[in-house]
Amino acid sequence: MTLAFRQRARQAIADPQLQRLLDQNADVRQQARMEALEELPQSGELRGRARSIRQQVIAELGAYLDQFGTRLAENGIQAQRAANAAEANRLILDIVQKHKAKLVAKSKSMLTEEIGLNAALEAAGIRPVETDLGEYVVQLRAEKPAHILTPALHLSTKDVAETFRRQLGASLGDDVEQINAEARSRLREVFLTAPVGITGVNFGVAETGTLCLVTNEGNGRMVATLPPVHIAVMGIERLVPTLDDLAVMLRLLPRFATGQAITSYVSLIHAPRRAGDPEGPTERHLILVDNGRSELASTPAAESLLCIRCGACLNACPIFREAGGHAYDSVYSGPIGAVLSPGLFGLEKYGHLGKASTLCGACTEACPVGIDIPGLLLNVRAEVEPKPLGRGLRLFSWVARSPTRFRWAQRTAALGGRLLARRAGWITQLPGPFAEWTHFRDFPPFASRPLRSRLRRARRPAKDRLPELEPEEVAPAAAQEAGEPDDRINRFEAKLKALGGEVIRCAEFEAADRIVGQLYVLGASRLLSWGPVEPILFTVLQRLEREGFPVVQPEVPEGARGTRAIRAFGEFPVGLTGAVAGLADTGSLILSGGSRRSLLPSLLPETHLAVVRSKDIYADLEGWLRAVGSPYVAGSSNLVLISGPSRTADIEMTLTMGVHGPRQLIVFLIE
Amino acid sequence: MKVQLFATCLVDSLFPEVGEAVVEVLAKAGVEVWFPKGQTCCGQPALNAGMRAEARTLALHTLEALEAEDVVVVPSGSCSEMIRHRYPELLADEPGQLKRARRLADRTYEFSEFLVDQLLVADFGAALPLVIGYHPSCHLLRGLGVDRQPLRLLEGIAGASTERLSPECCGFGGMFSIEMPEISAEMLERTLDRIRSSGIELVAGCDVSCLMQIEGGLRRAGSSVRCAHLAQLLAGREAGLK
Repeated sequence: MTLAFRQRARQAIADPQLQRLLDQNADVRQQARMEALEELPQSGELRGRARSIRQQVIAELGAYLDQFGTRLAENGIQAQRAANAAEANRLILDIVQKHKAKLVAKSKSMLTEEIGLNAALEAAGIRPVETDLGEYVVQLRAEKPAHILTPALHLSTKDVAETFRRQLGASLGDDVEQINAEARSRLREVFLTAPVGITGVNFGVAETGTLCLVTNEGNGRMVATLPPVHIAVMGIERLVPTLDDLAVMLRLLPRFATGQAITSYVSLIHAPRRAGDPEGPTERHLILVDNGRSELASTPAAESLLCIRCGACLNACPIFREAGGHAYDSVYSGPIGAVLSPGLFGLEKYGHLGKASTLCGACTEACPVGIDIPGLLLNVRAEVEPKPLGRGLRLFSWVARSPTRFRWAQRTAALGGRLLARRAGWITQLPGPFAEWTHFRDFPPFASRPLRSRLRRARRPAKDRLPELEPEEVAPAAAQEAGEPDDRINRFEAKLKALGGEVIRCAEFEAADRIVGQLYVLGASRLLSWGPVEPILFTVLQRLEREGFPVVQPEVPEGARGTRAIRAFGEFPVGLTGAVAGLADTGSLILSGGSRRSLLPSLLPETHLAVVRSKDIYADLEGWLRAVGSPYVAGSSNLVLISGPSRTADIEMTLTMGVHGPRQLIVFLIE
Repeated sequence: MKVQLFATCLVDSLFPEVGEAVVEVLAKAGVEVWFPKGQTCCGQPALNAGMRAEARTLALHTLEALEAEDVVVVPSGSCSEMIRHRYPELLADEPGQLKRARRLADRTYEFSEFLVDQLLVADFGAALPLVIGYHPSCHLLRGLGVDRQPLRLLEGIAGASTERLSPECCGFGGMFSIEMPEISAEMLERTLDRIRSSGIELVAGCDVSCLMQIEGGLRRAGSSVRCAHLAQLLAGREAGLK
């Protein structure tokens, strides 16, 4: 079975384009991760906390699942447990068929890849459409994702453009922007017409029953907001106890995944559409999938369940960099895949992946929760029957148990080596399995006199003393940033700008003028807006009404009329919202959906204008959570952190803005 | 002070020159060095192949061979890591043996770590007017956290300028090198590229396993660049493992 991985890796090595893309992935992602960590001086402590949070969950998984289940039920989310892939697919299919859906909009979920959901839906005559750009491309090509985060890692821009031309009949050049625009318009239609949306879940919060979705393109928000029915699919192990714990995870996941301090969107979903909500699915379901996880939790490989699927170990792994994701022939590739695949799907098919490593430890170094992947790989190796080389090692171990036998073996090897070595040089050709060494490099001859023969007597110490080193000074720990109000606001502005957002600072009295003025600057003909929930929005809406400027405050009717309404809202070029808070350390806005606070103006238009007050800028998510308390957060059906415009780098790591959500984000910061 | 040298099977059998240099440097640093005769191999190849029973047997054999209370010095990050971290894991279920394993782990040091952190010496009066590339081997760097120590020792070589190569695996990986030879060779090639592109004239490191892979590759490619264990440079030897 080792041969299968080796064979596929060989093909990958012989493919120069794939090698170029793999190198690019490794270089860009590693660099980004390191830079992101440099900006997080307390990362060591955070990683320790993240690890113990995850350990606590896995150790008491049953209790946390019970708590989570109770909260979900209170919040009106219909949760069901699935023991295996077939059961999960059946439960999902039942819901989809109950709603007579023929089309399903999906946002990327490796778990649905794991259970083979798309094949199950297709077999029942239902068309699932992947809406993450990379995953969409991979689906169009009927391939498997090459990386848990970057499914189309193995494809060049040219490949993707060619796929769009061939599969969709699109007329476009080999250009990422054009590909993006094409995907945006085609997939917008899917968001609008699919009766059911299916997403994964990055984290579930036991204390509050929160479903947390971390995305960049905005497709996850679309899928969880627009279709009348939302089904979330989550591995049972992906829990954290509290919202504070979630905040720790959210600091690490994006930094380790893509080097971002935060992704464009982080959704915290608590309930289906409630009375007064202007939009949202009337049904939310959660399918909690076991599929081997609880069994794994009782083995030494339980540590692999700490994984939060950031993909950092794939990017750091020198083997992945050569072999690529497809060589692993599993939905989970790279170092963690070599542990999870045999753990979840069986040793028989995947045990050989234990050998796809030099145990160099780059994976553990890159892991936000410090999983000892080399140690787990050794466990996998221990469970696989040793092959011929193993039998050779058994002989070696027998020899090494006795210094006499060892000395005899050294003599034999030295004699053999002398026959093989050309003159005094290194050996260029070894026999048997060792020929694999000399296919690629020379091997040193064995010493005719080993060290043990040369060191028969102890060596006396020298009389002269060497100069002694000065003990090095330990650098004092950097002082924590104070976080004065002005400083918070400056940081918020700087971070948001770095993410591609614009910030306009203005005083209360001039805010309405500036916002209305901005609408004219943008050449907007109409506006999708929140209601007059605060004074500035009130003034803006009043002014616009006086001027006869068309403004709609979205309210989605239920049923088929809802689809038509959303389609109409989608034609608006600009959306205007407030924000409950801003976060300085990530440049994020927090929007909480609810009456007259539709989430659509921040999602559908090309440009999103938002108003936030400087007094509402908090240092970080933890600070805001402390200020408002978790009941406030859990009371929101759908709360979203927005950090810059919608973005993707799914094609050849080329960053483009506005793939599904807004292309432009302008924040009016009221001082 | 007396130290026992755990030479490792590779140094003993393939590179006794490295072992001799280690002894010379340690003697220069003022310690008496002796070679426990019972030693063979730490058992890492067996452990890495998933053969825990064999690895355990060799761990017990090594515990026996290094029974004396003297400090143990190992000219290899990888074998030091095996003794320090993996022996206690292998023997975790045997309280008596675990105690012995922990005691051994506590008095075992990798060569450069022992010189700099324990003996507080780094300047051996060696001179070598070359551009030296330091290869941080994986288990030394990530397993033991040893990095500044070898660099400090290289700094003490007069006339040499040292460049730390990026910490990427050279592709050796024990049995990996012959079970996945194509991937191993690609990783080696990347290491050689890094060496070529930075004008390095000699590659130094603390693990002969990695250096054997790298020098094997350099020789095959017809390069004149050679490798050396850090101890060989400190002892004033010429480039080349053998």
